[in-house]
Amino acid sequence: MTLLAAQRAFVAEIAADDDLPSSSLGMAIYRNAYRGRLADALAVSFERTRRWVGEEMFELAAAHYILTHPPQSWTLDAYGADFPEALAELFADDPEVAELAWLEWHMQQAFAAPDRATLTGEALAAAEPDWEQLRLAPAAGLTWREVNHDLAALWHGLTDRSALAATEPAVLLIWRKDLSPHFRLLSPDEFAALEPLLDGASFGEAASQVGEAGLARFGQLFAKWLSEGLFSAIDSQSQ
Amino acid sequence: MMSETIPPFTGFGLGLRKEHHAQFLGAEQKVDFVEIISENFMACGGRPLRTLDAMRERHPVIMHGVSMSLGSPAGLNRDYLTELKLLADRTRPLWVSDHLCWTGIPGHNSHDLLPLPYTNEALATCIANLKLAQDVLERPLLVENPSSYMTFPESTMSEWQFLKALAEESGCYLLLDVNNVFVSSVNHHFDPLEFLNVIPRDRVRQIHLAGHSQGPEGLLIDTHDAPVCAEVWALYAKAIDRFGPCATMIERDDAIPPLDDLLAELDQAREAASVLA
Repeated sequence: MTLLAAQRAFVAEIAADDDLPSSSLGMAIYRNAYRGRLADALAVSFERTRRWVGEEMFELAAAHYILTHPPQSWTLDAYGADFPEALAELFADDPEVAELAWLEWHMQQAFAAPDRATLTGEALAAAEPDWEQLRLAPAAGLTWREVNHDLAALWHGLTDRSALAATEPAVLLIWRKDLSPHFRLLSPDEFAALEPLLDGASFGEAASQVGEAGLARFGQLFAKWLSEGLFSAIDSQSQ
Repeated sequence: MMSETIPPFTGFGLGLRKEHHAQFLGAEQKVDFVEIISENFMACGGRPLRTLDAMRERHPVIMHGVSMSLGSPAGLNRDYLTELKLLADRTRPLWVSDHLCWTGIPGHNSHDLLPLPYTNEALATCIANLKLAQDVLERPLLVENPSSYMTFPESTMSEWQFLKALAEESGCYLLLDVNNVFVSSVNHHFDPLEFLNVIPRDRVRQIHLAGHSQGPEGLLIDTHDAPVCAEVWALYAKAIDRFGPCATMIERDDAIPPLDDLLAELDQAREAASVLA
């Protein structure tokens, strides 16, 4: 047997279901370490989700994920990337679980995302941009998804399940300003105004989508987005 | 490769763990170097990278990796090597190290330090991978002996013969984990002094000391969650006697105690080494 073939067999054994016995005591130790390390990684990454669903349910979900999602990245930090999606299937009747897991995961990603300097209002004004052509780059770690629950309450430790009501659809936006990750729930209207800028549209193109009547509010929102640190730089194409 | 040698560096250090970041950054600590886990600072920014930058201003840094997978016949992950090189260029560490092991197969990473059979095929695999890594990183690497919990009937040499050949053929240096020598010697019933006596004197640049725990059926498990035990201190004294003063580090990865406890344990290493100086 070649070394590669032996390693394939080794990995198959340590990742196999519990129903299959280990071929030796040593293999049992490596198998146990494999499961334990991945389970620990999920527990650390999804601490709030674990509290919300309870330890027993979380462990079952983690065990299922470990069996069905072999780690592929060189970094263990990437292991939970698909866990929110897996939870969406496992907790189909409790969609807030996947929403909370998604929030936890992306707050961590934003925390350590590659650096991008926050664009301030002062820096933008000093650059004297051509506003019609101005394009902005998003902040470090910026991402978003639609949610239907009060994620702020869940994030801050809500434990009373009866107190969590489904809400109108909102957009959960996550980003990092300087060294701290942030999140905020945006109304669909506000996000509709912001999304073109995040997708690379120029300021002029984004403003034209809100129409004449919405221009004043668009200006106010833009000032707010700048103060929140949602942008990192002026796109070089607009200079 | 820019340099083929690593000058000796003697001193006593600790593995940098996030539980102690604030204390390291807030006050002078009695260490001669800190060792980081490379993967914790690769391909990232924000606070982790700022912490590393601040640490570099206070202490020499060693980069210790867990994901290179030197024993993979499928070859090394090029993306990983690229990110490691970027971090090494930024950090300018005393040296970069990883383990004599494999961590997975293409598409499935175990995130564990898995054991190799000590065969000519495995040796050729490790040498080829190590040479590539050293070329990309433009520096010789240190390779650490891991603990292991099983042996392979196809092995044709001992672990220490394998490490000696690896160092001779690749030009790498060695990170001698004295706890791992002890753990494997108990698990596989060999004399740890035989291990030390075959390792080339001029290739060891660093020593790891750590604690372990009792596993099933008399096996020892390299858990890094306890103080260094008496048998490992005794073996450390033998190692210093053979290899001379050498960068020595206490490695703790679980049940992290207060920093002062680790600094006190590091003083024990200083004392043990000074007796032999």
